[in-house]
Amino acid sequence: MKVTRITATLAAFALAITACGGDDDEPTSPDDGDNGAAEEGEVNRGGVYTTIVTQLDATAPPNPFNPDTNSFLGYNAMRLAWVKNHPTDPSDFYPGLASEWEVSDDNLELTVTLHPEATWSDGTPVTSDDVVLSANIAYTRGSGAFILDPGAAGAASDVEVIDDKTLRFTQDPDNPTGEFVNGIMDMTIVPEHVYGDVLPADFEETLEAAQGEGEDAEEARDAVSEAGEEVASFDPGEDISAGPYVLERINPSEALLTRNEHFHNDHLVAPDQVIVRNYDGNEQVWDYLQAGELDSSHFVAVPEDVVQQIEAVPGNEISRTYSPVVAGLAFNQSYEPFDDVHVRRALAYAIDREQMVSVSTPDGGDAATTTSGIHQEVVDEWIGDAVGELDPYEHDLDAAEEELEAAGMTKEDGRWLLPDGEPFEVPIQVVSGFSDWIAAGENIATQLDEFGIESEILTSPDFTVYQEEMAAGDYPLGFWLIGLGPSPYNIFQRLYGQSNGWQVHAGQLSYSEPGEDGNWKGGPETIEVEGHGEINPGELTHELRTADEERTQEIMTILARATNETLPVIQLWDYINTQFSNTDRFITDPPDDARRVSGVTSLAGIWIQQGWVTAVE
Amino acid sequence: MKGFARRLAGQLARGLVMVWVVLTFTFVIISIMPGDPVRAEYENLLQQGYSPEQAEAQAAMLHRFRPTGSVFEQYVDYVGSLLRFDLGQSLYSRVDVATVLADAAKWTVIPVLLGTVLSFGLGVVVGVYAAIKRSSKLGDMLTMSGSLLRGIPDFVVGLLLASIFATLWPILPRQGAVNILYEPWTVEYVLSLGYHAILPVATYTISAYGGFILAMKSSVVTVLGDDFILAAELRGMKRSIIFRYIARNAILPLFTVFALSVAAVFSGAIFIERIFNYPGLGMLLIDSIGRRDITVMAGALLLITVAVIIANIVADLFYSVIDPRIRRAGDRV
Repeated sequence: MKVTRITATLAAFALAITACGGDDDEPTSPDDGDNGAAEEGEVNRGGVYTTIVTQLDATAPPNPFNPDTNSFLGYNAMRLAWVKNHPTDPSDFYPGLASEWEVSDDNLELTVTLHPEATWSDGTPVTSDDVVLSANIAYTRGSGAFILDPGAAGAASDVEVIDDKTLRFTQDPDNPTGEFVNGIMDMTIVPEHVYGDVLPADFEETLEAAQGEGEDAEEARDAVSEAGEEVASFDPGEDISAGPYVLERINPSEALLTRNEHFHNDHLVAPDQVIVRNYDGNEQVWDYLQAGELDSSHFVAVPEDVVQQIEAVPGNEISRTYSPVVAGLAFNQSYEPFDDVHVRRALAYAIDREQMVSVSTPDGGDAATTTSGIHQEVVDEWIGDAVGELDPYEHDLDAAEEELEAAGMTKEDGRWLLPDGEPFEVPIQVVSGFSDWIAAGENIATQLDEFGIESEILTSPDFTVYQEEMAAGDYPLGFWLIGLGPSPYNIFQRLYGQSNGWQVHAGQLSYSEPGEDGNWKGGPETIEVEGHGEINPGELTHELRTADEERTQEIMTILARATNETLPVIQLWDYINTQFSNTDRFITDPPDDARRVSGVTSLAGIWIQQGWVTAVE
Repeated sequence: MKGFARRLAGQLARGLVMVWVVLTFTFVIISIMPGDPVRAEYENLLQQGYSPEQAEAQAAMLHRFRPTGSVFEQYVDYVGSLLRFDLGQSLYSRVDVATVLADAAKWTVIPVLLGTVLSFGLGVVVGVYAAIKRSSKLGDMLTMSGSLLRGIPDFVVGLLLASIFATLWPILPRQGAVNILYEPWTVEYVLSLGYHAILPVATYTISAYGGFILAMKSSVVTVLGDDFILAAELRGMKRSIIFRYIARNAILPLFTVFALSVAAVFSGAIFIERIFNYPGLGMLLIDSIGRRDITVMAGALLLITVAVIIANIVADLFYSVIDPRIRRAGDRV
């Protein structure tokens, strides 16, 4: 039995995604029969499956740690497991390289068993050593590196190699995190016999040193980061895959993946080959779909008329499933009069969200029923009966007038004036090319104008400029994505995180005044919430990282209530995960909870390996 | 010969100065370009389901390649690297920018040159014909076609061709460069390359064609009025010989137009490649701007502008080679 003293929890975060402290104490595996995976003989094999990816780079290596990698998750890159699109539990998985996993009741220990037949495409078995190396690499590559900060939640635990196919991960009981299981299961695994020499020989010692404090620790952290650069730049040459496919060849437009005969569930894999086509703009995807050339495509924004054209193509089918993403209109409360809650409430009442959605994104969203900060499909599960206490902000121009009057505004000649007599203006910032935001912004501006408020949309040239200028506090109002569950911390971090003044450095929460350190929302540090008194929403959000189930629900209720009362954003619509497939060559039929997997955009590889794609005979 | 060498040296010196101006301009543009790729990447990762800390750390990896020091120091570093032919690495793929550019350039240079040469040949022939038949309806129609196509932006031509031949009457591929199912450099592969290149090349050809017709027609009409043509006719020379005189003299200004067309078509490739999802320098440039991959962006801009400068130098030198008046004038200096 080999014990490797590394911080498994840290490592697991490297290519990891969101998580919460759910108690997944029931081991699940492909053999349980309850995970929806197909059984042997259920798929017809053969044919070429065509799907899409974005930003294909023919010059990049097939290395999953390269930012432009040609290792495509689900196809020729594998994780231990794939996170289901569960509305509230981020620790619910479909199997990847792991066939079984078991979490202890206290969420401190995770035992993972690799699939007994798991084998790399060169015939080498997938072993625990591959997982240990991948965990080490995970520390070096950005998303895991943050845990090297002293005091970060979830630091320091062990990985114990029980045998060639079994490992036990243990997190530090003095510094636990709810993201423990999710972070490990979501780890991308690379072959030790290919990547083994990329990290320095003394890497594990460097890792240990990096978790300390002082100059030596700082140097060690730099060394870890440098090792990360080596990892990112590494070119393995030949693609060695433990997934259902291996990269055969690539040009700047397309990549060709061919069947990996060694894949442990090859009997469930229908297509002999997969072509992934590159796209740089959504309209390119629309063209492919209108030509019936794609067997499936993941979510891209599509205007209603184009949806109809795509639907009209024989064989094309559309699925509409849950997405945790919510569109909101966020206020910068450093700008007057948006610092006045009456003004924000007035706008919430004045905007007819049903009309806006029906005009701007009828196929891509459902109008929000209220503003809570939480996706409406899961708000009941998080806050229960308290939902009924939230103000729905239904379209009500009388209520909007009352709120504006409460803010000291007056109406003259049908136009609303500020207390100083100047016209009340609402500029709405959108991004060029974001068709749904632009259409929604235009509709809101029209509605407000009809109500007597000067409003117009202003367009940023692209998303990078939008992000920079928004963070710099240049926009009084702008579109802002919220929700982003299922992790409760992630949900409210969008409202009470860095953008509103609360930051985590070295595990410690701090607050920056509006206009400083990326605080562009400019909300107050503490707020009064009816029935709960004065709260600090940032502190409560931070607590969600480690809170138990009961406390989590309590905090979620308070924060939902606070969001509803103070409206740092107006919740506009919940996105619908609209995806397309074509049934002429293949039937693509994954369960709804596999239609979105955190951190994976091109999902067909996961669907294929689970046996949810079958060739048309 | 001595005159040609002198001209070549002069052109190269001018070209180098222009390259320096361009790279300085490119550096300034990139330095003042707004947009924070790290923050945009952070948002993208959050939307994919990464936790805020993971997304922040992952996105911050881009910072490691961000230039440091004062703007002047960055400029000196940049120029120094270029003098060592070091264009740096892509911020994303960590691949040498030279490799990235070389991979993309072949998809732009060949179609652009092919399209320009085709439009040049077509424009010259049709232009001569339009000049000779300038009093006929056919001549008028040819001239009008040139004027019309000269006025239509190349991306409109591209969209029209795509609508007609890839959507309404789908006989040509709308997107991509080659069918990846074919083994490289087999007969099927080469045919597929050509098949996918038809619409982009046709767009380049049609877009540049109008300019060539009008320039050639104008040039031929001017030459037709020259004394030496009148003298040749009076001496009873064969029509075909006179036509050769006309063509040889009239075509000279077209080489300048050709160089300018190559430049225009190169820059137009940015839009055309986007329309046809064709993976050349234009697509690379757009993609790198969107992601703020500044090393690739700088490299692509530099390559495109240097290509234009080289085209101009070649055109000027070629002009002097084929026009004895310029050659002799150079030798006398």
